[in-house]
Amino acid sequence: MSAKKLGLREKYSKMTRDLSWEPSYQPMEKIYPQTEMEGLKIEDWDKWEDPFRLTMDAYWKYQAEKERKLYAIIEAFAQNNGQLNVTDARYINALKLFLNGVSPLEYAAHRGFAMAGRQLPGVGAQVACQMQSVDELRHVQTQVHTISHYNKYFNGLDDFRHKHDNVWYLSVPKSFFDDAMTAGPFEFITAISFSFEYVLTNLLFMPFMSGAAYNGDMATVTFGFSAQSDEARHMTLGLEVIKFMLEQHPDNVPIVQRWIDKWFWRGYRLLSLVSMMMDYMLPKKVMSWKEAWEMYFVQNGGALFEDLARYGIRMPKYWEQTVAGMDHLSHQTWNTFYTHNHAAAFHTWMPEEDEMQWLASKYPESFDKYYRPRWEHYKKLEEEGKDFSNPSLPMLCQTCQIPMFYTEADDPTTISYRVSEYKGDKYHTCSDGCKDIFDHEPEKYIQAWLPVHQIFQGNCGGGSLEEVLDWYRLNQGVENVKYHLSEDFSNWKKWKGLDPETESDDEPRQVSNG
Amino acid sequence: MSYEVTIEPLGETIEVEDDQTILDAALRAGIWLPHACCHGLCATCKVDVVDGEVEQGDASPFALMDFERDEGKCLACCATPTSDLVIEADIEEDADAEVHPVEDYAGVVVAIEALTPTAKSVIVELDRELKFQAGQYVNLHLPEIGQTRAFSLANSPSEKRRVELQIRHIPGGEATSFVHQQLKVGDKVDITGPYGRFFVRRSADADALFLACGTGISSPKSMILDLLEQGDDRNIKLFHGARNQTELYDRDLFEQLAADFKNFRYTPVLSQPNGDQTWEGAVGYVQDVAQSHLENDFRGHQAYLCGSPNMIDSAITVLMQGRLFERDIYFEKFISAADAAQQSQRSPLFKSI
Repeated sequence: MSAKKLGLREKYSKMTRDLSWEPSYQPMEKIYPQTEMEGLKIEDWDKWEDPFRLTMDAYWKYQAEKERKLYAIIEAFAQNNGQLNVTDARYINALKLFLNGVSPLEYAAHRGFAMAGRQLPGVGAQVACQMQSVDELRHVQTQVHTISHYNKYFNGLDDFRHKHDNVWYLSVPKSFFDDAMTAGPFEFITAISFSFEYVLTNLLFMPFMSGAAYNGDMATVTFGFSAQSDEARHMTLGLEVIKFMLEQHPDNVPIVQRWIDKWFWRGYRLLSLVSMMMDYMLPKKVMSWKEAWEMYFVQNGGALFEDLARYGIRMPKYWEQTVAGMDHLSHQTWNTFYTHNHAAAFHTWMPEEDEMQWLASKYPESFDKYYRPRWEHYKKLEEEGKDFSNPSLPMLCQTCQIPMFYTEADDPTTISYRVSEYKGDKYHTCSDGCKDIFDHEPEKYIQAWLPVHQIFQGNCGGGSLEEVLDWYRLNQGVENVKYHLSEDFSNWKKWKGLDPETESDDEPRQVSNG
Repeated sequence: MSYEVTIEPLGETIEVEDDQTILDAALRAGIWLPHACCHGLCATCKVDVVDGEVEQGDASPFALMDFERDEGKCLACCATPTSDLVIEADIEEDADAEVHPVEDYAGVVVAIEALTPTAKSVIVELDRELKFQAGQYVNLHLPEIGQTRAFSLANSPSEKRRVELQIRHIPGGEATSFVHQQLKVGDKVDITGPYGRFFVRRSADADALFLACGTGISSPKSMILDLLEQGDDRNIKLFHGARNQTELYDRDLFEQLAADFKNFRYTPVLSQPNGDQTWEGAVGYVQDVAQSHLENDFRGHQAYLCGSPNMIDSAITVLMQGRLFERDIYFEKFISAADAAQQSQRSPLFKSI
């Protein structure tokens, strides 16, 4: 009788778990010092079920082929001047926001999973984290190629590392990941793999990837396909880690619930950038933020939390407020960027009339009543050559670092803000969700690097707006103006032959980057 | 036109219709394959085609690489067979599963006994021995009405020629009405089997907990008889639920077993005794009674559930509250087309629950 062929599971086990060993001259708690600091009780690491069975040798083979395909398409895109096939140059501003705000997060995720993999004592979890860490590095690299291409033709993409680390609104995504990475390994995975990549992923991916497809950006679409085959693995890891923690000990349930509450709210706040991408920045719309939130969170998320209820986990705290806020989130966010465009490295604009009608049809409860009049006023000022800008520095939320412009969930005319006192100082937050997060770990959040505070403390290049923007390496008068006044717009008209007054160039000319 | 697809390492063979995906056919046949996006992008459902040919459908080139297509892989959610197939999926081969080939048997009804006003025990003598694993079911063909229905085998596997089926009358149900009203001793019936992957995981070092309602007791009866005959010394706990005393049956049998074997405990439970003064036993739903008897701590058990979908759903919640999770909970689940359509609304948190 011939030897029995190894099943897929056994083969996987031989190539992963069997590679582990019991330490002999150091105790486990010294090797994995972060295991217990979060208060979780893990009784049996063997109960960790590897959510996917991929060995490292197979992993390299897959990723190599993905890279070959992706780079072939990116290359073809560049050679064919694919950037000229996007719907219009306003679309590029969604890319600018994503590439400056989110691409560096992929790198942060690469670091974070390397650290989590080092700190988790189970070999199954270690392998999963290692692969995800390498995935994230691959993702950031491919996105840097996209940056590199678009940077030749459009402003605002020339210094993503510096901007991500310094510019005020980019501190929102940056601090989100910093918060996760400075937590323990289990909270990190709950934050990123579960809350972000599982519960909220469709809300990030869908507008970015479908938005790219709708708007003719095939380089980004291809990246999306290439990444999605990794994301499925990441999401499964998120689910497994949640089940594992909940099944290991009943005392873990309240800890996990608090992490879910926290990271749901942090993620929701971060996604406000996505909401305005969907409703305002994509020239050809995919769906409204409200429709996306109803479909991907209320329905799909609801099904997940029905299943999680068996473990004693309830819906994330304050989720009702996110539903109440659906009608307002994107408009209030866009308003803030429009009125602070002079401090942003992308262009904003007021929607055209047909876009206003689209917004009114998607937001019948709120748009015509609260936002259209404001937009029409701004438009009138634009026509008079008196574009409105708000020169003041806004107060930021101590937790999410977003300016305090959100309104109360039940009243769109009252700004929502909360105050906490800690060691004799007052700290302000934008919502009940952010206040709870602050109050639970005040010592962590009082150390937050808040861009506005830093400016006032003289740590950002100087006291004047101009000095601060220089310090941001923001090419003033070029990157930070309204779209209708931008070089992007005038170039686009030239390249596409849309401007009757100028001769259309045969070749797209590269812009000079400051 | 349809094709036969054998799924390794289970060794189960299913029928796949023209233009039906392998995943769809497998889920409908009650075989769980790993899957997530269901439209060719995530690659969770990747399987090896060991023998035969498939049409790859809409599998994304990033989810199913060229070299994988050359190696004979496919995505079960997109691939349709173009010949009979053998595939190998990333699922566990259960060490406790016995392999018994499915065969056709000719049988004669040798006894019919009313268990309760709504349930009958039908004993069928077969033309030869039927080997099966306790917990499995057979298809009963009723030639008079041209119908086939699945019923669990209630007898111990040591009884190979005479099989017992416990059949509840479903008002308006064609097959069960026929059994209750017309079937008689001496009638010929055909049986095909055994089927199913509901059986005791003996290799686990855990107590066995059976929660059964009504005629759902048939599989546990076979499983318990088998365990006790084999001299298995783990603790075996049976909670059998019925509406009232008239609907409760096989009580004498289980009470006798509980007297003979000290590792077997039997708890009959009535959900609606309605002031029955002669009932001194437990009252409520089986899962709730089990929860209070075991003080809401199910750890160290493996649970086997037999009952209505609602009862199974509630029982899972109760078990999980008592710290028993998916890997230790077993139940027989038939996924109909309607269930499969509903499943897509569910989250992928659980594999089979």
